Amino acid sequence: MSAIVSVENVVKEYPLGKLKVRALDGVTLSFGEGEFAAIAAPSGAGKTTLLNLIGCVDVPTSGVVRIDGQATSELDDAGLTRLRLHKLGFIFQSFNLITVLDVYQNVEFPLLLQGGMTKKERDRRVREIVEQVGLDKQMRHRPNELSGGQRQRVAIARALVTRPRIVLADEPTANLDSATGQNIIGLMKEINRKNRTTFIFSTHDPMVMSQAERVIRMADGRIVGEERRAAEGAA
Amino acid sequence: MESLRILLLMAFRSLGGHKIKGLIVGSLLAFGTFLFVLGTTLLESVERAMEASITRSITGHIQLVSARAVDRLTFFGPEASSDQDIGVLPDFSRVREVASKIPGVAAVIPMGRYYGQPILNTELDEAIEALEEAFAEGDPAVIEDRIGKVRRMAARLKEDYLRAAALAADDEEHEKAIAALDRVTSEEFWTSLRHAPEEGLQFLAFEIAKLSDDESMLYLPFIGTDLHRYAESFVHFEMVEGEMPPPGTRGILISQAAYDQFFKNRPARVLDLLHEAKTLDGRRIADDAALQDLVSRLKEMTAQVTMHLSPRAATELDAKLRERFPKVEGDLDARLAAFFEVDDENFAERYEFFQKEVVPHIPLYRVPVGGTFTLRSMTKSGYPKAVNVRLWGTFRFKSLERSELASAYSLIDLASFRDLLGLMTAEKRRELDSIREEVEVSEIDPNDVEAFLFGEAPVIEEGGEADLDLDARLAALDRPTDEDSDTFDPAEIEKGTILHAAVVLHDPGKLREVMARLQEAFDREGLEVKPLAWSEVTGIIGQLVVVLRAVLYVLIGIIFVVALVIINNSMVMATMDRIGEIGTMRAIGARRGFVLALFLLETLVLGFFASALGALAASALLALLGQTGIHTHQPFLIFLFGGTALYPAIDLANVVWSFAVIVVISVISTFYPARLAARVPPVVAMQGKE
Ligand SMILES: Nc1ncnc2c1ncn2[C@@H]1O[C@H](COP(=O)(O)OP(=O)(O)O)[C@@H](O)[C@H]1O
Ligand SMILES: [Mg+2]
Repeated sequence: MSAIVSVENVVKEYPLGKLKVRALDGVTLSFGEGEFAAIAAPSGAGKTTLLNLIGCVDVPTSGVVRIDGQATSELDDAGLTRLRLHKLGFIFQSFNLITVLDVYQNVEFPLLLQGGMTKKERDRRVREIVEQVGLDKQMRHRPNELSGGQRQRVAIARALVTRPRIVLADEPTANLDSATGQNIIGLMKEINRKNRTTFIFSTHDPMVMSQAERVIRMADGRIVGEERRAAEGAA
Repeated sequence: MESLRILLLMAFRSLGGHKIKGLIVGSLLAFGTFLFVLGTTLLESVERAMEASITRSITGHIQLVSARAVDRLTFFGPEASSDQDIGVLPDFSRVREVASKIPGVAAVIPMGRYYGQPILNTELDEAIEALEEAFAEGDPAVIEDRIGKVRRMAARLKEDYLRAAALAADDEEHEKAIAALDRVTSEEFWTSLRHAPEEGLQFLAFEIAKLSDDESMLYLPFIGTDLHRYAESFVHFEMVEGEMPPPGTRGILISQAAYDQFFKNRPARVLDLLHEAKTLDGRRIADDAALQDLVSRLKEMTAQVTMHLSPRAATELDAKLRERFPKVEGDLDARLAAFFEVDDENFAERYEFFQKEVVPHIPLYRVPVGGTFTLRSMTKSGYPKAVNVRLWGTFRFKSLERSELASAYSLIDLASFRDLLGLMTAEKRRELDSIREEVEVSEIDPNDVEAFLFGEAPVIEEGGEADLDLDARLAALDRPTDEDSDTFDPAEIEKGTILHAAVVLHDPGKLREVMARLQEAFDREGLEVKPLAWSEVTGIIGQLVVVLRAVLYVLIGIIFVVALVIINNSMVMATMDRIGEIGTMRAIGARRGFVLALFLLETLVLGFFASALGALAASALLALLGQTGIHTHQPFLIFLFGGTALYPAIDLANVVWSFAVIVVISVISTFYPARLAARVPPVVAMQGKE
């Protein structure tokens, strides 16, 4: 199985005054197409840092991150932006919807950034995905009129509308109650099965972890273990 | 582009989402545009109105002056009352011929700006004259009344002299004056006068009258011109009283305002001033020190009414005043002084009474229309010169009646003007030229002919022995025109020395174009003449527009800087607020340019609407003012407004221009915050908390 994401001996240091904080300390990893993987670790272990590097919003201090074969450190800001726009989808811990836009417009937003699509085609895609996350009744609502779970569904729709190869989610359930969290992970998993979209998400919630096919354990910026289990049927 | 739609949408929505910022920045931009449109429009309206005021009454659109002029010809302000060296036009007839051929030129009017002193009877002169008349008529009561007046004036004059003597006890002249005044304030003088008036009256007329110099000795600025051409060419000109002198006749036309100010009977004038202040300016005597001062001076002016009254008129007036003031002791003067004690309550009624009962019985002006007076001036070479001029009438400039600036100048015929300046006629000039040839003098300045005659100017280089014959001939030139004649040949006079000339245009908009063509034509013809635009010859008035413009621009500049700073600050703050949102957009694939465009568009939208609102509000206000007019009674504003009201006209170019400037300013002020926003790294999206 060819890796769609590969992380090779990556080190990431943050300056902290005169010192340096080593957030990632030689991480090597790869993800195949269609995986549904969880990065499980306690707070401060480096989950967000790792996802940032994979998500091309940051570049490693040393080592290589490849997305679909392309090393991110070789790209400039415009190149990274293009990569994010076309190959990646993001689901944020705090949903990060654009507050001034309604559900439909939030979801449509990445398609508009991509351009090159007829209005009709775009409309079809937006409605399809919004239906899929079950928000067709809230199409014209603004984010502040939605519950947390609904907001995260919008975020999922927004991440998926461009049909990215990889969706990254940094603790997507951290701001949700556990039932809603389960629900969201369920939705992600369903889409993963249907579209073969690679999902990489971080969590420190065992309930969430249990949904993953692959669980990568981290501590202090290192990979400390990994479990795989066969795709389950109904949980 | 589709992303423009989302940009616009987001811009609008963000504005809606940040109402306070939008409100502050928006009202600032709206206010800026409002002021900008209002300011520039009013200023331009004033400029246009003022241009019309000046060009249609005094300067014309262009003034032609000698290219050799040392000073810049100036009609108003301090330079105008200094002795300007503006040279003379070379050959006015040709200048006019050349200028008249230029398309767009409606008229070329010869001009000369100068000033003289009207020599008018003093109050004492008039009192002595009235006494002479009384003796001629022989009514003893009137004689006693007139004697009383002259004695009072003489006594007052003596006090003045004694006071002056204490300050600067100097010459014989002064002592002689005091001795003469001693004599006429003595009882014996008047006793003998009553018996044998001849000798005493002579003494009064020749020795006493001259001692009083009136406060009034004003300088009357005038323009020597072709009166008929002037009247035809300056559309604001209109006669008030009297008539135009027939062509080729000497005479002066005085502006009605100057006539009222300097020639009108003093108490009548003071009453007019009070009347105007009350009715036009709404001032009140009770709370206006200047008006109170006028009233107290008015009370001293009774003699200037009573000495002019015929015995019958005096008796009648006295009877009427007795009814009003039964308790006032003394004579008519005392009762009139009581009458002159006006206040806000009784003024209107007393003013009317005065107009009805007094004015018809006194000479209202010191020189009546149709009368003659002496005008004295210094010639260009520094010799005093006096000319008798007939006052043919008074004039005004339409709608500028109350403007002191517009009515500063009186108009005089060219022949008298030339006499007053000591300039020469064509014939005299030819004569001088031939003399000049004979003595081989290279330079006799036509203006210096008198200096030349009086032997002061070193114009003859080789001294040698004076040629007696030459002296005689030069002496003949002393009289520049035939001063004894009331008439002159207008054609001949224009061939003589003319100082400058006004050009009136058909279309003032073609000013620069016509000026260029004039200059070209004069150069081609070898005439050393320089055209000056009206704005260049109006001194402080022309500068005033420049100053007003500068003030306006500084004001607008300040608003802009403030706007720039405030917009910049609030946008920077907005950027800080929106870092998470920006980061999210960047993370999900928005390029830096998108963020930049979003921020710029936001202010552009805000600037567009706010500025449009401001421009609209200003236009509405201006449209309203254009209907109602901005009214004033202030003489200076009347001049600026070209009348008592200014009707501002909206110039679309101004509105569009102001609007565009504000929009550009708003976008410029967003540049820095927008760049800041574009630099927000996408990684902040990951750290974000909602
Ligand atoms: N921008 C940063 N600057 C400095 N230190 C950072 C920064 N981001 C993360 N770190 C540090 O790196 C380590 C890993 O952090 P992070 O990746 O956020 O962990 P997790 O997401 O697992 O909680 C932590 O010690 C954290 O303090
Ligand atoms: Mg984290």
